[in-house]
Amino acid sequence: MKFDDKVPIYYQIKTHLYHEMLNGQLTAGAQLPPVRQLAVDLTVNVNTVQRALGEMITEGTLTSQRGKGNFVTTDTTRLAQLKDQLVMAQLAQTYDQLHAFNLTDAEILTSLKQYIEKRGIAQ
Amino acid sequence: MSTALSIQNLNYKRNRQVILHDGQLTLSTGKIVGLLGENGAGKTTLMRLITGNAQGQGVIKVGDSSDVMHRKQKTSFSDHLKGFDKSTKINQVVKFYQTVYPDFSNDRYQEMATFLQLDASQKLTALSKGTKEKLIIALTLARQTELYLLDEPFSGIDSMSRKQVISSILKWTPDNATLLISDHYVHEIASLLDEIVVVKDQTIAVHKGADEIRDQLGVEIEDYYESLYEVGGAADDK
Repeated sequence: MKFDDKVPIYYQIKTHLYHEMLNGQLTAGAQLPPVRQLAVDLTVNVNTVQRALGEMITEGTLTSQRGKGNFVTTDTTRLAQLKDQLVMAQLAQTYDQLHAFNLTDAEILTSLKQYIEKRGIAQ
Repeated sequence: MSTALSIQNLNYKRNRQVILHDGQLTLSTGKIVGLLGENGAGKTTLMRLITGNAQGQGVIKVGDSSDVMHRKQKTSFSDHLKGFDKSTKINQVVKFYQTVYPDFSNDRYQEMATFLQLDASQKLTALSKGTKEKLIIALTLARQTELYLLDEPFSGIDSMSRKQVISSILKWTPDNATLLISDHYVHEIASLLDEIVVVKDQTIAVHKGADEIRDQLGVEIEDYYESLYEVGGAADDK
């Protein structure tokens, strides 16, 4: 995995795992690889992986079972909430950028609709 | 968290020339720490001082012991295989390690040797730079101890070898062991590191958390490191 070295690595690991949880690579209740395996796969050290997983356990997107490992939560409400958060964050970023081009809300909506329609035809 | 290495008031001169002065450093257990600095800054010297292969003034403790014998026992450092004749074969070097170090695990060595594709019958003189570094990694990490020192394991090796060396470090460094790894080029190992230590101006100038640099300063480790060398750049705040 390629990292942006300006952003804390533990934060990027969390983002990476969130994406796998939302795109279906890691489903609700799925077991994560052992910490050391994740460290090797992502070429980061074990402490950094542990920090990322620790925060995700605290916030409830992962659960830890003693002696068994770490699992994606089976709490689908929590996962839906996570999805909302990430969608909102992505929208906020896009919206702010478009706003900076002096587009009005109505223009942003129109552009977005046009874009989606075009994409629909292209595909 | 307990202390893996502590250095107090370390001074070292060679031929009356100051190499290191007033060095202070404390490393916690279980960390991977990058030791950075320009060529000739004193990184290798610092490692030799830690193991007692060089004698300076001041107090160096590995774990809780400042005794040189204990420090040697608790520190795994291969120092570029200095002292081995060039015609020595890999399996003879391995035998030597097995004899000299009670904490050397042949099983661990063989696992790594397989992973790194080391040929036991090869002579040291026949090894490429990359293969030699792989051998050093396998020998160093096959010992089961508290502190590991790796001196520029990536200098002059190709990118495939580098990847294998990095994977070996991540796979085989024991939990709760501390690993100090020197390099003069931080970019390729930045994602591995918990902390960086910079040797500059004949002293240990900087000791900082890697994610602390990214989090608080919002810069890449490499940019931060380079800024230390700019006139009027980041001060040597510890």
